[in-house]
Amino acid sequence: MNIRDKILIVEDERSISNFLRTILVSNDYDVIIARSGAEAYSMITSHCPDLIVLDLGLPDIDGLQIIKSVREWTLLPIVVVSARSHERDKVQALDLGADDYITKPFGAGELLARIRTAIRHTRTGLANETIATTGKFKAGSLEIDYDKHQVLIDGSNAGLTQNEYKIVALLGKCAGKVLTYDYIIKELWGPGTRGNNQSLRVHMANIRRKIEKSPAEPQYIFTEIGVGYRMVEGD
Amino acid sequence: MNKSNHIKSGNSAVRALRNWAISLLVLGVAWLLCSSLKKLSSSDVYVPMIFVLAVLIISLLTDGYFYGVLASIVSVIGVNYAFTYPYMKLDFSIYGYPTTFMTMLAVSLVISTLTTRVREQEKLRHETAQAQLKANLLRAISHDLRTPLTSIIGSIDTVIAEDGHLNGSERAELLGDAKKDAEWLVRMVENLLSITRISGAEETVISKSPELIEEIIGECVSNFKKRHPDVNLKVLIPDEPLTVDVDAMLIEQVLMNLMDNAVYHSETMTELSIEASVGEGFARIAVSDDGVGLDPDIIPELFKGQIGASKGHPCDGNKFRGIGLAVCSAIISAHGGSITAANRPEGGAVFEFTIPMEDSLQ
Repeated sequence: MNIRDKILIVEDERSISNFLRTILVSNDYDVIIARSGAEAYSMITSHCPDLIVLDLGLPDIDGLQIIKSVREWTLLPIVVVSARSHERDKVQALDLGADDYITKPFGAGELLARIRTAIRHTRTGLANETIATTGKFKAGSLEIDYDKHQVLIDGSNAGLTQNEYKIVALLGKCAGKVLTYDYIIKELWGPGTRGNNQSLRVHMANIRRKIEKSPAEPQYIFTEIGVGYRMVEGD
Repeated sequence: MNKSNHIKSGNSAVRALRNWAISLLVLGVAWLLCSSLKKLSSSDVYVPMIFVLAVLIISLLTDGYFYGVLASIVSVIGVNYAFTYPYMKLDFSIYGYPTTFMTMLAVSLVISTLTTRVREQEKLRHETAQAQLKANLLRAISHDLRTPLTSIIGSIDTVIAEDGHLNGSERAELLGDAKKDAEWLVRMVENLLSITRISGAEETVISKSPELIEEIIGECVSNFKKRHPDVNLKVLIPDEPLTVDVDAMLIEQVLMNLMDNAVYHSETMTELSIEASVGEGFARIAVSDDGVGLDPDIIPELFKGQIGASKGHPCDGNKFRGIGLAVCSAIISAHGGSITAANRPEGGAVFEFTIPMEDSLQ
């Protein structure tokens, strides 16, 4: 008998939690369901799930509050489910420590991919396993060489500046996960530079012109409008 | 709610300030004019005339009756005090004084009444037009929602009821149709959400921030490719990164609607292209296809949300067309830009919209 990952779904809509349960169970996860924030609290502590799928719009407690208090004692991955009307909550949720978000309505494939990425990231820590062993990140013809501080496209140096390299390197380490503007800025230039993401945007525009075939049809670094950037999953 | 109240009270403060400024300015000018004329001629017949004119202008330019009436009282006292014999003294026993006063008061009341009435009528006309627009949208929406819902219910009913008789591919086809229609409903609902955001009372509630056009297009393109992997898509952007001050979600929606329209209506399209470019003080985005093009008769009606509601324009089940373009037009005008549709000389349709750019953002 194999041991399966246990996923806690926090969702008050019965039809949505039913459909989530069905796809997750058929993809070999154990599923438990909480229908309110209070129930979620007690299930997190008693069941110790491997991942939480959290709907931000709960009847009793603000979903953001749950993220905040869970993050006080555990790094257990949280994937947030948000409606389009809660755009700002999305960024807030990520900045509070949620691992990823998915916007309603979503397909089964998308959700499963997010869950796999989130679980893997928590298992292997921030640094991707391949990066830790080989010092390299590869996706298609993009290669980040962490030892030489270089980004290669089709084997040749893309000629990134230092700041540009730092951005790509950071995104590569968290490949598959969306990083908010604030997070990237803080990681790169320290906590004092909050609020101005214009220069980050300009750096990104330059990076895209160096590594993407067509900057408006990116293959490697995707924009999540109003939220941040996401590097494609490595090979 | 709080915020809009705040804006409104701020607005009324600004208006009051403006009204006071106008009143003081006009009266000041009249006063100066009279003082300087007094030096040139000994007669003072022109004085009441000038002040009547001042009262008229104030009544015309300010809101309501208050400022006009106030100005006429001030003028009467001022004229009496400064410009009629005995100078620099109030004397209400002068011959003709009541006539001057009554004239000024009457002028201010009549003009104020007229302007207020005209303004109210303008407001009423505007409201009627808004209500008309909303009614049109609602009609188009309810019409557009019924079709996919009918098909979803029908497909799922069939799958449930005929479970034993359907083979695998029939089942998959029915469910696939239901899914396609549900996806379309989602986009419709997003259009509706956008409408509530841009037509919230008088103030628009869009939240603009500086965004790179290529990022907006990029996100649209990747979403679009997920839904229509087979479409041959060409994207052209300027070499220099282009920043515009917009609500990115809404602009994305405009692009999405235009691209979807091309897919669903151009029939013979082999290539869809998106091109961003810079014009004099604005950014321009064009979505063009090489399909059948637009019926020239319907081009003027395209952005009004009424296509399909009027008879004589057969379009495929009226789907996908009702409100999409009306929403596009509303979003673009909320950004101070414009949107146009035309047929390309080489065949196919082109939809083009502009967004003003501030110099500091370039």
